[in-house]
Amino acid sequence: MQDNYLAKWLNDELTDAELAEFKKSEAYETYQKIKATASQLESPEFDMDKAWESIDQTKTVKETKVFILSPFKRFLRVAAVVALLIAGSFFYLSTLNESFSTEYAENKFITLPDTSEVILNAESELAFSKNKWDTNRNVDLKGEAYFRVAKGKKFTVETAQGLVTVLGTQFNIESRENFFEVTCFEGLVSVTINGEETKLPAGNSLMTIAGNSTMSKAMVNGEPSWLSKESSFKSIPLHYVLDELQRQFNVEVNAKNIDTTQLFTGSFSNENLELALKSISLPLQIKFNLDGNKVLFYAEEAP
Amino acid sequence: MKADQQLNVCEEQVYKRVFNETSKTIFNYIYYKFGNEEKANDAVQEAFVKLWENCAKVAPEKAKSYLYTVANNLYLNVIKAEKVRLKYADTTLKTTNESPEFIMEENQFKEKLDNALNSLPENQRTTFLLNRIDGKKYAEIAEMEGVSVKAIEKRMHLALKSLREQIDGI
Repeated sequence: MQDNYLAKWLNDELTDAELAEFKKSEAYETYQKIKATASQLESPEFDMDKAWESIDQTKTVKETKVFILSPFKRFLRVAAVVALLIAGSFFYLSTLNESFSTEYAENKFITLPDTSEVILNAESELAFSKNKWDTNRNVDLKGEAYFRVAKGKKFTVETAQGLVTVLGTQFNIESRENFFEVTCFEGLVSVTINGEETKLPAGNSLMTIAGNSTMSKAMVNGEPSWLSKESSFKSIPLHYVLDELQRQFNVEVNAKNIDTTQLFTGSFSNENLELALKSISLPLQIKFNLDGNKVLFYAEEAP
Repeated sequence: MKADQQLNVCEEQVYKRVFNETSKTIFNYIYYKFGNEEKANDAVQEAFVKLWENCAKVAPEKAKSYLYTVANNLYLNVIKAEKVRLKYADTTLKTTNESPEFIMEENQFKEKLDNALNSLPENQRTTFLLNRIDGKKYAEIAEMEGVSVKAIEKRMHLALKSLREQIDGI
Protein backbone atom coordinates (compact mmCIF):
# COMPACT_ATOMS: atom_id res chain seq x y z
CA MET A 1 0.00 0.00 0.00
CA GLN A 2 1.13 3.54 -0.66
CA ASP A 3 2.80 5.33 2.18
CA ASN A 4 0.11 7.99 2.30
CA TYR A 5 -2.85 5.63 2.06
CA LEU A 6 -4.54 7.20 5.10
CA ALA A 7 -4.77 10.51 3.28
CA LYS A 8 -6.14 8.74 0.22
CA TRP A 9 -8.66 6.93 2.36
CA LEU A 10 -9.99 10.13 3.89
CA ASN A 11 -10.34 11.47 0.36
CA ASP A 12 -12.08 8.30 -0.86
CA GLU A 13 -9.30 7.72 -3.35
CA LEU A 14 -8.35 4.13 -2.39
CA THR A 15 -8.98 1.36 -4.89
CA ASP A 16 -11.42 -1.36 -3.87
CA ALA A 17 -8.57 -3.80 -3.27
CA GLU A 18 -6.68 -1.33 -1.13
CA LEU A 19 -9.81 -0.50 0.83
CA ALA A 20 -10.55 -4.17 1.49
CA GLU A 21 -7.02 -4.72 2.72
CA PHE A 22 -7.19 -1.64 4.94
CA LYS A 23 -10.49 -2.74 6.44
CA LYS A 24 -8.88 -6.03 7.52
CA SER A 25 -6.21 -4.23 9.62
CA GLU A 26 -6.91 -3.98 13.35
CA ALA A 27 -6.33 -0.21 13.35
CA TYR A 28 -9.18 0.35 10.89
CA GLU A 29 -11.83 0.54 13.60
CA THR A 30 -10.08 3.44 15.38
CA TYR A 31 -9.46 5.25 12.11
CA GLN A 32 -13.11 4.89 11.24
CA LYS A 33 -14.04 6.28 14.63
CA ILE A 34 -11.63 9.21 14.27
CA LYS A 35 -13.18 10.04 10.93
CA ALA A 36 -16.68 9.87 12.35
CA THR A 37 -15.89 11.91 15.46
CA ALA A 38 -13.87 14.49 13.56
CA SER A 39 -16.89 15.15 11.39
CA GLN A 40 -18.61 16.51 14.50
CA LEU A 41 -15.81 18.98 15.18
CA GLU A 42 -16.56 22.61 14.65
CA SER A 43 -14.40 25.66 14.69
CA PRO A 44 -15.12 28.48 17.17
CA GLU A 45 -17.53 31.24 16.33
CA PHE A 46 -16.21 33.86 13.97
CA ASP A 47 -18.11 37.13 13.93
CA MET A 48 -17.75 38.08 10.30
CA ASP A 49 -19.77 41.31 10.52
CA LYS A 50 -17.70 42.58 13.42
CA ALA A 51 -14.47 41.74 11.61
CA TRP A 52 -15.70 43.51 8.47
CA GLU A 53 -16.67 46.59 10.44
CA SER A 54 -13.28 46.97 12.07
CA ILE A 55 -11.48 46.39 8.76
CA ASP A 56 -13.72 48.93 7.09
CA GLN A 57 -12.81 51.48 9.75
CA THR A 58 -9.08 50.88 9.50
CA LYS A 59 -9.39 51.08 5.74
CA THR A 60 -10.91 54.54 5.85
CA VAL A 61 -8.37 55.75 8.37
CA LYS A 62 -5.55 54.49 6.18
CA GLU A 63 -7.10 56.16 3.15
CA THR A 64 -7.16 59.58 4.77
CA LYS A 65 -3.64 59.00 6.01
CA VAL A 66 -2.49 58.57 2.44
CA PHE A 67 -3.61 62.09 1.65
CA ILE A 68 -1.65 63.50 4.56
CA LEU A 69 1.45 61.60 3.64
CA SER A 70 1.59 62.13 -0.10
CA PRO A 71 2.60 65.85 -0.23
CA PHE A 72 5.40 65.11 2.18
CA LYS A 73 6.53 62.20 0.01
CA ARG A 74 6.45 64.45 -3.03
CA PHE A 75 8.48 67.01 -1.12
CA LEU A 76 10.97 64.30 -0.23
CA ARG A 77 11.22 63.31 -3.86
CA VAL A 78 11.96 66.89 -4.90
CA ALA A 79 14.39 67.31 -2.03
CA ALA A 80 16.21 64.15 -3.05
CA VAL A 81 16.57 65.37 -6.62
CA VAL A 82 17.82 68.78 -5.49
CA ALA A 83 20.29 67.21 -3.08
CA LEU A 84 21.53 64.95 -5.85
CA LEU A 85 21.96 67.88 -8.23
CA ILE A 86 23.85 69.92 -5.67
CA ALA A 87 26.08 67.02 -4.75
CA GLY A 88 26.61 66.19 -8.41
CA SER A 89 27.47 69.71 -9.49
CA PHE A 90 29.71 70.19 -6.49
CA PHE A 91 31.56 67.04 -7.41
CA TYR A 92 31.73 68.11 -11.06
CA LEU A 93 33.03 71.57 -10.24
CA SER A 94 35.54 70.29 -7.74
CA THR A 95 37.05 67.95 -10.31
CA LEU A 96 37.03 70.81 -12.77
CA ASN A 97 39.18 73.11 -10.70
CA GLU A 98 42.32 72.13 -8.91
CA SER A 99 43.28 74.65 -6.30
CA PHE A 100 46.13 75.15 -3.87
CA SER A 101 46.59 77.69 -1.14
CA THR A 102 49.18 78.59 1.45
CA GLU A 103 48.83 80.05 4.93
CA TYR A 104 51.08 82.56 6.65
CA ALA A 105 54.72 81.40 6.79
CA GLU A 106 54.13 78.61 4.29
CA ASN A 107 55.48 77.85 0.81
CA LYS A 108 54.19 75.24 -1.58
CA PHE A 109 55.69 73.58 -4.63
CA ILE A 110 53.17 72.69 -7.35
CA THR A 111 53.70 70.80 -10.58
CA LEU A 112 51.17 71.57 -13.30
CA PRO A 113 49.93 68.90 -15.75
CA ASP A 114 52.48 69.99 -18.41
CA THR A 115 55.39 69.76 -15.90
CA SER A 116 55.48 73.52 -15.48
CA GLU A 117 56.45 74.35 -11.93
CA VAL A 118 54.94 76.86 -9.57
CA ILE A 119 56.22 77.83 -6.15
CA LEU A 120 53.59 79.53 -4.07
CA ASN A 121 54.74 82.10 -1.51
CA ALA A 122 53.00 82.65 1.83
CA GLU A 123 49.26 83.44 1.93
CA SER A 124 48.60 82.83 -1.73
CA GLU A 125 46.14 80.87 -3.82
CA LEU A 126 46.47 79.16 -7.17
CA ALA A 127 43.68 77.49 -9.13
CA PHE A 128 43.47 75.94 -12.57
CA SER A 129 41.13 73.74 -14.58
CA LYS A 130 42.52 70.25 -14.99
CA ASN A 131 39.99 69.24 -17.68
CA LYS A 132 40.66 72.12 -20.05
CA TRP A 133 44.40 72.18 -19.44
CA ASP A 134 45.32 70.65 -22.80
CA THR A 135 43.66 73.44 -24.76
CA ASN A 136 43.96 76.23 -22.30
CA ARG A 137 46.93 76.79 -20.03
CA ASN A 138 45.24 79.17 -17.67
CA VAL A 139 45.77 79.69 -13.94
CA ASP A 140 44.23 82.03 -11.40
CA LEU A 141 46.55 83.58 -8.86
CA LYS A 142 46.04 85.51 -5.66
CA GLY A 143 49.21 86.53 -3.86
CA GLU A 144 52.74 85.72 -4.96
CA ALA A 145 54.17 82.88 -6.98
CA TYR A 146 57.21 82.04 -9.07
CA PHE A 147 56.62 80.26 -12.36
CA ARG A 148 58.89 78.03 -14.42
CA VAL A 149 56.75 77.46 -17.46
CA ALA A 150 57.42 74.52 -19.78
CA LYS A 151 57.63 75.42 -23.47
CA GLY A 152 54.34 75.08 -25.30
CA LYS A 153 51.16 76.98 -26.03
CA LYS A 154 50.26 80.30 -24.51
CA PHE A 155 50.35 80.28 -20.74
CA THR A 156 48.18 82.81 -18.95
CA VAL A 157 48.12 83.86 -15.34
CA GLU A 158 45.03 85.76 -14.31
CA THR A 159 45.15 88.01 -11.28
CA ALA A 160 42.74 90.57 -9.95
CA GLN A 161 45.01 93.33 -11.18
CA GLY A 162 46.31 92.12 -14.49
CA LEU A 163 46.88 89.41 -17.00
CA VAL A 164 50.34 87.86 -17.58
CA THR A 165 50.87 85.90 -20.75
CA VAL A 166 53.97 83.93 -21.73
CA LEU A 167 55.08 81.14 -24.03
CA GLY A 168 57.69 79.46 -21.86
CA THR A 169 59.83 81.24 -19.36
CA GLN A 170 60.58 81.94 -15.73
CA PHE A 171 58.93 84.77 -13.92
CA ASN A 172 57.56 85.89 -10.60
CA ILE A 173 54.23 87.51 -9.94
CA GLU A 174 53.18 89.25 -6.80
CA SER A 175 49.63 90.41 -6.63
CA ARG A 176 48.67 91.87 -3.26
CA GLU A 177 46.25 94.59 -2.33
CA ASN A 178 47.10 97.68 -4.45
CA PHE A 179 50.44 96.09 -5.24
CA PHE A 180 51.27 94.23 -8.40
CA GLU A 181 54.74 93.19 -9.49
CA VAL A 182 55.90 90.97 -12.33
CA THR A 183 59.56 90.07 -12.67
CA CYS A 184 60.80 88.24 -15.76
CA PHE A 185 63.93 86.10 -15.36
CA GLU A 186 64.00 84.39 -18.74
CA GLY A 187 62.25 84.80 -22.09
CA LEU A 188 59.53 87.37 -22.69
CA VAL A 189 56.47 88.10 -20.63
CA SER A 190 53.46 90.09 -21.69
CA VAL A 191 51.66 91.94 -18.91
CA THR A 192 48.22 93.41 -19.46
CA ILE A 193 46.93 95.86 -16.87
CA ASN A 194 43.58 97.54 -17.52
CA GLY A 195 43.77 96.54 -21.19
CA GLU A 196 47.22 98.08 -21.61
CA GLU A 197 49.86 95.59 -22.69
CA THR A 198 53.53 95.83 -21.68
CA LYS A 199 56.25 93.53 -23.03
CA LEU A 200 58.68 92.57 -20.32
CA PRO A 201 62.01 91.09 -21.51
CA ALA A 202 64.26 88.99 -19.27
CA GLY A 203 65.91 90.96 -16.46
CA ASN A 204 63.07 93.43 -16.11
CA SER A 205 60.51 94.01 -13.47
CA LEU A 206 57.22 95.85 -13.70
CA MET A 207 55.70 97.17 -10.51
CA THR A 208 52.38 98.87 -10.00
CA ILE A 209 51.63 100.52 -6.70
CA ALA A 210 48.20 102.06 -6.37
CA GLY A 211 47.90 102.42 -10.16
CA ASN A 212 51.37 103.89 -10.81
CA SER A 213 53.62 101.64 -12.87
CA THR A 214 57.42 101.66 -12.78
CA MET A 215 59.93 99.50 -14.62
CA SER A 216 63.14 98.38 -12.98
CA LYS A 217 66.01 96.03 -13.66
CA ALA A 218 66.29 92.53 -12.26
CA MET A 219 68.86 89.79 -12.55
CA VAL A 220 68.79 87.77 -15.78
CA ASN A 221 68.49 84.00 -15.20
CA GLY A 222 68.01 84.75 -11.54
CA GLU A 223 65.37 83.69 -9.14
CA PRO A 224 63.16 85.73 -6.85
CA SER A 225 64.92 86.19 -3.53
CA TRP A 226 62.12 84.59 -1.53
CA LEU A 227 63.04 81.25 -3.04
CA SER A 228 66.29 81.50 -1.09
CA LYS A 229 64.40 82.41 2.06
CA GLU A 230 64.88 86.15 1.75
CA SER A 231 62.50 88.98 0.91
CA SER A 232 64.05 91.82 -1.08
CA PHE A 233 62.69 95.29 -1.72
CA LYS A 234 63.79 98.15 -3.91
CA SER A 235 62.20 101.52 -3.17
CA ILE A 236 59.02 100.01 -1.80
CA PRO A 237 56.74 101.84 0.65
CA LEU A 238 57.37 100.54 4.14
CA HIS A 239 53.84 99.26 4.77
CA TYR A 240 54.18 96.70 1.95
CA VAL A 241 57.41 95.57 3.57
CA LEU A 242 55.67 95.18 6.92
CA ASP A 243 52.82 93.28 5.26
CA GLU A 244 55.34 90.87 3.80
CA LEU A 245 56.99 90.44 7.18
CA GLN A 246 53.61 89.58 8.62
CA ARG A 247 53.02 87.01 5.90
CA GLN A 248 56.41 85.35 6.18
CA PHE A 249 56.50 84.94 9.94
CA ASN A 250 52.82 84.79 10.83
CA VAL A 251 53.17 87.64 13.30
CA GLU A 252 51.02 90.68 13.91
CA VAL A 253 52.94 93.78 12.86
CA ASN A 254 52.07 97.26 14.09
CA ALA A 255 53.77 100.60 13.66
CA LYS A 256 53.62 103.60 15.96
CA ASN A 257 54.74 107.17 15.10
CA ILE A 258 56.34 105.95 11.89
CA ASP A 259 55.77 107.14 8.34
CA THR A 260 54.93 103.85 6.61
CA THR A 261 54.86 105.48 3.18
CA GLN A 262 58.63 106.09 3.25
CA LEU A 263 60.50 103.94 0.76
CA PHE A 264 62.51 100.94 1.85
CA THR A 265 65.35 99.29 -0.01
CA GLY A 266 66.86 96.17 1.41
CA SER A 267 65.99 92.64 2.33
CA PHE A 268 65.14 90.48 5.32
CA SER A 269 65.53 86.83 6.17
CA ASN A 270 62.41 84.70 5.97
CA GLU A 271 63.80 82.26 8.51
CA ASN A 272 65.11 84.28 11.42
CA LEU A 273 62.63 86.76 12.82
CA GLU A 274 65.13 88.51 15.10
CA LEU A 275 67.46 89.07 12.16
CA ALA A 276 64.62 90.19 9.92
CA LEU A 277 63.43 92.74 12.46
CA LYS A 278 66.92 94.16 12.73
CA SER A 279 67.27 94.28 8.94
CA ILE A 280 64.22 96.53 8.79
CA SER A 281 64.71 98.65 11.89
CA LEU A 282 68.42 99.46 11.66
CA PRO A 283 68.53 101.20 8.26
CA LEU A 284 65.38 103.19 9.12
CA GLN A 285 66.68 104.07 12.58
CA ILE A 286 63.56 102.85 14.33
CA LYS A 287 63.11 100.46 17.25
CA PHE A 288 61.08 97.31 17.56
CA ASN A 289 59.50 95.38 20.38
CA LEU A 290 58.72 91.65 20.04
CA ASP A 291 56.10 90.26 22.37
CA GLY A 292 54.90 86.73 21.62
CA ASN A 293 53.71 86.94 18.04
CA LYS A 294 53.19 90.68 18.12
CA VAL A 295 55.74 93.11 16.72
CA LEU A 296 55.63 96.83 17.36
CA PHE A 297 57.86 99.23 15.42
CA TYR A 298 58.22 102.65 16.95
CA ALA A 299 60.27 105.81 16.47
CA GLU A 300 63.49 106.06 18.43
CA GLU A 301 62.52 109.33 20.07
CA ALA A 302 59.22 107.95 21.30
CA PRO A 303 59.06 107.23 25.00
CA MET B 1 -15.20 35.63 -14.49
CA LYS B 2 -14.48 37.87 -17.43
CA ALA B 3 -15.86 40.90 -15.67
CA ASP B 4 -13.70 40.08 -12.67
CA GLN B 5 -10.52 40.42 -14.61
CA GLN B 6 -11.22 44.03 -15.40
CA LEU B 7 -12.24 44.79 -11.85
CA ASN B 8 -9.43 44.82 -9.35
CA VAL B 9 -9.53 44.29 -5.63
CA CYS B 10 -9.80 48.03 -5.04
CA GLU B 11 -13.41 47.75 -6.18
CA GLU B 12 -15.52 47.61 -3.05
CA GLN B 13 -17.68 44.76 -4.39
CA VAL B 14 -14.72 42.56 -5.30
CA TYR B 15 -13.05 43.25 -1.99
CA LYS B 16 -16.24 42.44 -0.07
CA ARG B 17 -16.70 39.23 -2.00
CA VAL B 18 -13.14 38.11 -1.26
CA PHE B 19 -13.77 38.92 2.38
CA ASN B 20 -16.97 36.87 2.50
CA GLU B 21 -15.30 33.92 0.85
CA THR B 22 -12.02 33.92 2.73
CA SER B 23 -12.24 35.57 6.14
CA LYS B 24 -13.64 32.56 7.97
CA THR B 25 -11.00 30.27 6.47
CA ILE B 26 -8.21 32.59 7.52
CA PHE B 27 -9.62 32.81 10.99
CA ASN B 28 -9.77 29.02 11.26
CA TYR B 29 -6.37 28.57 9.66
CA ILE B 30 -4.63 30.74 12.26
CA TYR B 31 -6.80 29.32 15.03
CA TYR B 32 -5.80 25.74 14.18
CA LYS B 33 -2.16 26.77 14.19
CA PHE B 34 -2.09 28.58 17.52
CA GLY B 35 -5.35 27.78 19.29
CA ASN B 36 -5.81 31.47 20.03
CA GLU B 37 -8.97 33.27 18.90
CA GLU B 38 -7.55 36.71 19.51
CA LYS B 39 -4.57 36.04 17.27
CA ALA B 40 -6.85 34.58 14.64
CA ASN B 41 -9.05 37.71 14.68
CA ASP B 42 -5.98 39.95 14.47
CA ALA B 43 -4.65 37.94 11.56
CA VAL B 44 -7.90 38.42 9.62
CA GLN B 45 -7.80 42.15 10.32
CA GLU B 46 -4.15 42.52 9.39
CA ALA B 47 -4.39 40.44 6.22
CA PHE B 48 -7.40 42.32 4.85
CA VAL B 49 -6.03 45.76 5.65
CA LYS B 50 -2.79 44.81 3.87
CA LEU B 51 -4.81 43.56 0.92
CA TRP B 52 -6.65 46.89 0.76
CA GLU B 53 -3.43 48.88 0.88
CA ASN B 54 -2.00 46.82 -1.96
CA CYS B 55 -5.26 46.27 -3.81
CA ALA B 56 -3.92 47.73 -7.05
CA LYS B 57 -1.03 45.27 -7.09
CA VAL B 58 -2.95 42.10 -6.28
CA ALA B 59 -5.02 40.42 -8.98
CA PRO B 60 -8.41 39.14 -7.73
CA GLU B 61 -7.50 35.52 -8.45
CA LYS B 62 -4.31 35.97 -6.41
CA ALA B 63 -6.07 37.66 -3.50
CA LYS B 64 -6.66 34.47 -1.51
CA SER B 65 -3.09 33.25 -1.54
CA TYR B 66 -1.95 36.81 -0.78
CA LEU B 67 -4.17 36.82 2.31
CA TYR B 68 -2.89 33.43 3.48
CA THR B 69 0.70 34.57 3.07
CA VAL B 70 0.16 37.77 5.04
CA ALA B 71 -1.68 35.94 7.84
CA ASN B 72 0.99 33.28 7.94
CA ASN B 73 3.91 35.72 7.97
CA LEU B 74 2.28 37.67 10.77
CA TYR B 75 2.99 34.89 13.23
CA LEU B 76 6.06 33.49 11.60
CA ASN B 77 8.21 34.68 14.44
CA VAL B 78 5.80 34.01 17.26
CA ILE B 79 7.21 31.50 19.65
CA LYS B 80 5.73 28.19 18.62
CA ALA B 81 6.25 26.65 22.04
CA GLU B 82 2.98 28.05 23.32
CA LYS B 83 0.86 25.18 24.49
CA VAL B 84 -2.12 24.82 22.20
CA ARG B 85 -5.51 24.29 23.80
CA LEU B 86 -8.08 24.16 21.09
CA LYS B 87 -11.68 24.06 21.95
CA TYR B 88 -14.30 23.08 19.50
CA ALA B 89 -17.94 23.98 19.52
CA ASP B 90 -19.64 21.05 21.15
CA THR B 91 -22.17 19.27 19.04
CA THR B 92 -22.31 16.01 20.96
CA LEU B 93 -24.88 17.16 23.47
CA LYS B 94 -27.76 16.94 21.04
CA THR B 95 -30.64 15.01 22.32
CA THR B 96 -30.51 11.54 20.93
CA ASN B 97 -32.20 8.29 21.69
CA GLU B 98 -28.87 6.54 22.14
CA SER B 99 -28.20 4.77 25.38
CA PRO B 100 -26.36 6.70 28.13
CA GLU B 101 -23.47 4.21 27.92
CA PHE B 102 -23.04 4.88 24.25
CA ILE B 103 -23.09 8.66 24.77
CA MET B 104 -20.54 8.40 27.55
CA GLU B 105 -18.29 6.29 25.37
CA GLU B 106 -18.66 8.76 22.56
CA ASN B 107 -17.73 11.63 24.83
CA GLN B 108 -14.73 9.78 26.13
CA PHE B 109 -13.55 9.14 22.61
CA LYS B 110 -14.05 12.76 21.72
CA GLU B 111 -11.99 13.87 24.66
CA LYS B 112 -9.22 11.53 23.61
CA LEU B 113 -9.35 12.91 20.09
CA ASP B 114 -9.21 16.48 21.40
CA ASN B 115 -6.12 15.70 23.44
CA ALA B 116 -4.51 13.88 20.56
CA LEU B 117 -5.21 16.81 18.22
CA ASN B 118 -3.69 19.27 20.67
CA SER B 119 -0.47 17.34 20.83
CA LEU B 120 -0.08 17.06 17.04
CA PRO B 121 2.62 19.13 15.35
CA GLU B 122 1.18 22.45 14.22
CA ASN B 123 1.32 21.74 10.47
CA GLN B 124 -0.33 18.30 10.79
CA ARG B 125 -3.13 19.63 12.97
CA THR B 126 -3.76 22.58 10.64
CA THR B 127 -3.92 20.30 7.62
CA PHE B 128 -6.20 17.77 9.32
CA LEU B 129 -8.66 20.35 10.62
CA LEU B 130 -8.78 22.42 7.44
CA ASN B 131 -9.69 19.26 5.60
CA ARG B 132 -12.10 17.82 8.14
CA ILE B 133 -13.85 20.93 9.45
CA ASP B 134 -13.59 23.36 6.55
CA GLY B 135 -13.74 20.70 3.87
CA LYS B 136 -10.66 22.15 2.12
CA LYS B 137 -9.22 19.99 -0.64
CA TYR B 138 -5.58 18.94 -0.32
CA ALA B 139 -4.73 21.20 -3.26
CA GLU B 140 -6.23 24.22 -1.49
CA ILE B 141 -4.35 23.48 1.73
CA ALA B 142 -1.17 23.06 -0.30
CA GLU B 143 -1.71 26.56 -1.72
CA MET B 144 -2.30 28.05 1.72
CA GLU B 145 0.76 26.44 3.22
CA GLY B 146 2.88 27.05 0.16
CA VAL B 147 3.90 23.41 -0.24
CA SER B 148 3.12 20.61 -2.70
CA VAL B 149 -0.05 18.48 -2.64
CA LYS B 150 2.19 15.47 -1.99
CA ALA B 151 3.50 17.09 1.17
CA ILE B 152 -0.03 17.76 2.37
CA GLU B 153 -1.03 14.13 1.76
CA LYS B 154 2.01 13.09 3.76
CA ARG B 155 1.03 15.39 6.61
CA MET B 156 -2.52 14.07 6.55
CA HIS B 157 -1.28 10.51 6.68
CA LEU B 158 1.07 11.23 9.58
CA ALA B 159 -1.67 13.18 11.41
CA LEU B 160 -4.09 10.26 11.22
CA LYS B 161 -1.39 7.81 12.19
CA SER B 162 -0.35 9.66 15.33
CA LEU B 163 -3.98 10.40 16.29
CA ARG B 164 -4.71 6.71 16.18
CA GLU B 165 -1.55 5.81 18.07
CA GLN B 166 -2.42 8.30 20.80
CA ILE B 167 -5.99 7.15 21.09
CA ASP B 168 -5.17 3.44 21.10
CA GLY B 169 -2.28 4.13 23.45
CA ILE B 170 0.37 2.57 21.25
